[in-house]
Amino acid sequence: MEIIMSILAGLLFATGVYNLLQKQLLRIAIGTALISHGAHLFILTMGGLKGGAPPILVEGIEQYTDPLPQALILTSIVISFGVTSFLVVLAYRASEVNGTDNIEELRGNDYE
Amino acid sequence: MLFAVLLPFLASIFIPFLAKWKDRIHTGIFVTLVPLVIFIYFIQFLGTGFQPEARSYSWIPSLDMNMNFYLDGLSLLFVLLISGIGTLVAFYSIYYLHKSEQLGNFYVYFLIFMGSMLGVVLSDNVFVLYSFWEFTSLSSFLLIGYWNHRRGSRYGALKSMLITVFGGLSMLGALVFMSVITNTTSIQQMITEKSIILNHEFFPLIMGLLLLGAFTKSAQFPFHIWLPDAMEAPTPVSAYLHSATMVKAGIYLVARNIPIFAESEWFFVIVSGFGIITLMWASYMAVRQTDLKGILAFSTISQLGMIMAMLGFGTKVAIFAAVFHILNHATFKGSLFMVAGIVDHETGSRDIRKLGGLMTFMPITATLALIATFSMAGFPLPFLNGFYSKEMFFDATLDLESTSNAVAGFMQQALPYLAVFGSIFTFVYSMYFFFGTFRGKAQISELPKKPHEAPIGMLISPAVLVAGVIIIGLFPELINKPFISHAAASIYGGEIDKHIYFWHGINLPLIMSIAVLAFGTILVLTRTKWEAVYRFIPGPLSMNKVYDGSVKRAETYSARITKTYMNGSLGRYFRLILGAILIITFGFMAATAGFEFNMADSAEITVAEILVAIMMAVAAVGTILANNRVAAIIILGVVGYGLAILFVIYRAPDLALTQLIVETVTVALFLMVFNHLPQLKMRKQGWSTKALNLTISIGFGALMTLVAISAHSSNWFDSISSYFVENSYKLGGGDNIVNVILVDMRGLDTLFEIAVLGIAALGIYGMVKLRSNKEEDA
Amino acid sequence: MSNLAILPILIPLLAGIWLAFIAKKLPLARGSAKFLSILNLAIVIYIFFHVQQNGTLILEMGDWKAPFGIIIVGDLLAVTLVLTTNLVAVAAAFFAPKSLSDKQEGFYFYAFFFWLISGVSGAFLTGDLFNLFVFFEVLLMASYALIVLGGGKAQLRESIKYLLLNLFSSMLFVTAIAFIYAVVGTVNMAQIAERVQEVEQQGILTTIAILLFFVFATKAAVFPLYYWLPNSYSVPNPVVSALFGALLTKVGIYSILRVFTLIFTHEPGLTHNLFLWLAGLTMIFGVIGALSTHNVKLIVAYNIIPAVGFMLMGIGIFTETAISGTVYYLVHDMIIKGALFLLVGALAHLAGTSDLRKMGGMIHHYPFLGWMFFLASLVLAGIPPFSGFIGKLLLLQGGLAEEEVIIVIVTLVTSLLILFSMIRIFIGAFWGEKNEDITVNKRAADGYVWPIAGLLALSVTLGVGAEWFYPAIQSIAEYLMAPELYIDSVLKE
Repeated sequence: MEIIMSILAGLLFATGVYNLLQKQLLRIAIGTALISHGAHLFILTMGGLKGGAPPILVEGIEQYTDPLPQALILTSIVISFGVTSFLVVLAYRASEVNGTDNIEELRGNDYE
Repeated sequence: MLFAVLLPFLASIFIPFLAKWKDRIHTGIFVTLVPLVIFIYFIQFLGTGFQPEARSYSWIPSLDMNMNFYLDGLSLLFVLLISGIGTLVAFYSIYYLHKSEQLGNFYVYFLIFMGSMLGVVLSDNVFVLYSFWEFTSLSSFLLIGYWNHRRGSRYGALKSMLITVFGGLSMLGALVFMSVITNTTSIQQMITEKSIILNHEFFPLIMGLLLLGAFTKSAQFPFHIWLPDAMEAPTPVSAYLHSATMVKAGIYLVARNIPIFAESEWFFVIVSGFGIITLMWASYMAVRQTDLKGILAFSTISQLGMIMAMLGFGTKVAIFAAVFHILNHATFKGSLFMVAGIVDHETGSRDIRKLGGLMTFMPITATLALIATFSMAGFPLPFLNGFYSKEMFFDATLDLESTSNAVAGFMQQALPYLAVFGSIFTFVYSMYFFFGTFRGKAQISELPKKPHEAPIGMLISPAVLVAGVIIIGLFPELINKPFISHAAASIYGGEIDKHIYFWHGINLPLIMSIAVLAFGTILVLTRTKWEAVYRFIPGPLSMNKVYDGSVKRAETYSARITKTYMNGSLGRYFRLILGAILIITFGFMAATAGFEFNMADSAEITVAEILVAIMMAVAAVGTILANNRVAAIIILGVVGYGLAILFVIYRAPDLALTQLIVETVTVALFLMVFNHLPQLKMRKQGWSTKALNLTISIGFGALMTLVAISAHSSNWFDSISSYFVENSYKLGGGDNIVNVILVDMRGLDTLFEIAVLGIAALGIYGMVKLRSNKEEDA
Repeated sequence: MSNLAILPILIPLLAGIWLAFIAKKLPLARGSAKFLSILNLAIVIYIFFHVQQNGTLILEMGDWKAPFGIIIVGDLLAVTLVLTTNLVAVAAAFFAPKSLSDKQEGFYFYAFFFWLISGVSGAFLTGDLFNLFVFFEVLLMASYALIVLGGGKAQLRESIKYLLLNLFSSMLFVTAIAFIYAVVGTVNMAQIAERVQEVEQQGILTTIAILLFFVFATKAAVFPLYYWLPNSYSVPNPVVSALFGALLTKVGIYSILRVFTLIFTHEPGLTHNLFLWLAGLTMIFGVIGALSTHNVKLIVAYNIIPAVGFMLMGIGIFTETAISGTVYYLVHDMIIKGALFLLVGALAHLAGTSDLRKMGGMIHHYPFLGWMFFLASLVLAGIPPFSGFIGKLLLLQGGLAEEEVIIVIVTLVTSLLILFSMIRIFIGAFWGEKNEDITVNKRAADGYVWPIAGLLALSVTLGVGAEWFYPAIQSIAEYLMAPELYIDSVLKE
């Protein structure tokens, strides 16, 4: 199963990167969201997907899934959320002030 | 000795304060005292019984960078030149620089230069030497740019700095290399360990780098081009830095390293080769100049070339002659610069085409110039020191050590002729300088000021130097044993027992001198007839054009190169970055045989998971294809919710919950914000861009997948997680292990994760709010 | 075990919270910021001497033993860099009121400022790879907030590129941590090092190391990953640029230094050689960039890049001398870049333009500023006896001892071109005809002068007084070249 999940996460990265390479800010933002999903899936997969109970201690159960990756993902999800929100508002402001949502028109030309 | 080096630096601190009273007392008066004190201190070392002295003062011992001073004959020669000429120049400047100028700045630079130059010739520690070396370049930069409102000054300052610092850095490379392989920072130590350097595989590189430093500083062809432009500096500076002292630092460096390098035959070929070319080229070019200081600049270059050539010979007579000429050149060239300054000061012009016939207006100046120029020309008269060293130069070209090296052998054959050629032009420019300025028809109306004799104070310094010319000429033995021979001996590495005579009988050197005199006179008389040759040589070959071209190209090409990739396009940046990551990482994976595949530790495949995975995959691809913004956002949501389902399947309830909430809020936020943005359009993209994007993104996804599979297959260690399972309740007091980890074991993560959220919130607030305020203002 | 080690992270965090609450009361906020930055500096100085005397400070957060909890490792390298960070921070706190508008200050500048410091210090001090990611995010988030502050067109435009590239590299970072976890089963740096050593960095580990390197290299602005840097560093307010220029790329370099002297040290023929190549290219392209423009702020921003090349070169050579060169250069570069960004910021403000071609003759109006700029240029270019020289000398010695001749020559040429790019500003902006039309703003100039002068004085001392600092740097290098010292101090108590 890890292989399939790795391929899925890789696919999320690939589609994310493809969106990132586009011109419209919305697509780029979608790209970043996909990449962070991919990253989180990788963490989960890397902890091992083999059975075991949810990591909540219950009398009599010895086998739990790896709790550490879950903790890491949780932290990462929250951080990604913060950054993504910031990005979305920034994208909105940048396109409003500069009058375009095309990143290729946001080059700026300070080279003289 | 430390105090002697530091004195100018210490004095320079007080100059700005003294300069405040410049209306009452000219700041130069204080400054003159500094070199005078140093001169008097060092003159006591003179004498036949002189022994080298070493003093050390620790500075940065852990880097082996200490103020180790070593005073031998060579250093003493330079120290006395620096302080002696320094005194005269400082005194001269009192009359040359008007009180309305920024005297404070001038004298600060002047003293910094003096101290650094003393440091260069006294330091035995290579890194300290390099430090002082760069400071001479920098103070020279500031002095050339002293009148920085002039374009020419700025140009000349930059040029001199670029070329000399370039050389300095190259020298640094050589010095560090030498110190690394010999494991010492002392030049004297290196001399004892020279076999290590001579036999090192990078010896040619070391020597090349070192000589590059010397050649740039001493204005050897083709690096000489900075010196004529340095003439923008006030004349005292030209007399001091750009003729008597700083430009001789390269000579000093070569002389200092002769004991190490002279064994290599290529040393002779390179040093003498560049020296003789410089001598010929610069003396030839000097005749073309119209600015008095321009003539002197090229003349200085050619004389430096001659000294350099002699150092390259490495024979007893050549080294002795070189040392002797260093001193002689300082006397006559120093006085000539001062004369040029006087002419400029009293007539308002240095253009030789406007000058002429000044002898009647300024007889004393003219007399001084007469003696100095004839000494420079090597005119055979018993009271001109220039003749002695010129004659020794000829002698040296005829008396070279035999060699087996073909290139060296050929050069030895050619040298006497080349030397005569260079000397003929030396003769010509000397005469051109004197006769063009002081003889001929006066053109008073052309000059900005009516010429008259200079004030007496201004004449004292050149008169002292000219007196030196005559005294050395009349009594050369006076300075031989107590002074010159020590210097020569410390270069040669053994006693030099040489006598200086005026008359040697009729021999080859004398015949060469007479030839110079004869051909020189002919060329002087017919100068107007052959001047046209300068239109063809150098013509387009000028090194200046190379310099100007490279500086300009440095700017245009760097702009062009930078513009090609730094074009502000985020897409371009990403493509370049991802491309680099892809190629290098795949390269490493291949090189280390990193890929591994091992299914042993995998979980089983179940239908539910496959279905979710397929749904997510389809949705992910769907985000690319969607051309409606709401649709795209919703499809993105599908991926997010899919992930949440996976979290459920893989028994991560906390994650699933969090992911659900976050995904919902994110999607809402996207919808809210992008509602204000234009519709998604399928923007036109070329097929090649599309293909490239596709390759990069698939490549990147594949890379991540492959690394992930390999990483998972290389599960060599137990996770530390079992500890958490065991101790979550026992020590953490919670059943939910993930929660215990978050708030306890990894509480710091969580604290700062909240900080990130807080910052983001405040930042967003600022972005939105600060804007609306601004718009109200507008 | 001592709680001291957390203070440089905690104090700025709390200071930031305090300042977020009183942001609108400007006089109080300014005063608090100055006071708190000095307070923090004082504590860090104390910690520095404490560590120098008593050795590495280890703090196991919440008393959870390594490798299970998060470990704060205050070794000499970390506290030295935290100390330098705080020196720059104090200068910035004093410069800020002179250079920011009241509105920018009111919109939480000081809060973001302290959180940035907190994140940077945390990144230096943490001994946990995932925690390093968290601190990266703290400092990045603060930097995003700072860079958009004031929200001009260009600022917003460059921020979005800056954010996106960093966001991408952060995601790569988390993923790389996941890969490492899969192989060695831990995120504690000391334990990772121990386990990597045990399996001799075989298999996929080197590939993961390279991924991690790219993550850090993006922050550090190594070729070919620095595209985001020049523009985004030249658009915000000078204080912000100074903080970025002094601190952010250095965190990246620090991380490379840490990870590739502690953990991935077993394939230097591959990894460290790659660094050497990239270092050379970074120097060349960086300095070419510095020559390519007439915008003074951009020139300084581009000059960050070759410095990164110098530091990477030391890591690439990977000998004790070279590493001590890197560390020396790291400290030097933090200070001088801070000073230079403040200087060009002041210059551009006083001249009313950033375009070099429109300036001239400024030295007649602002002699002190001019001479400081000249001095700063010398320091930057590594002219002895200033601080840049000491670091460069060590790097050259390290390089030549290994006979890495090409990179040494590149270093020398780069130094020349750096000097050229800076002197171009000096000649163009400060020299020239006195321009009588300029309205001289003496008060503004005086306000700018002192924080810059303080940083420059530090730079000069760091060079001339190298004897006082070098032994500490040398012991850091020795310590870095013996990773078991770090591992033992964390894992075996």
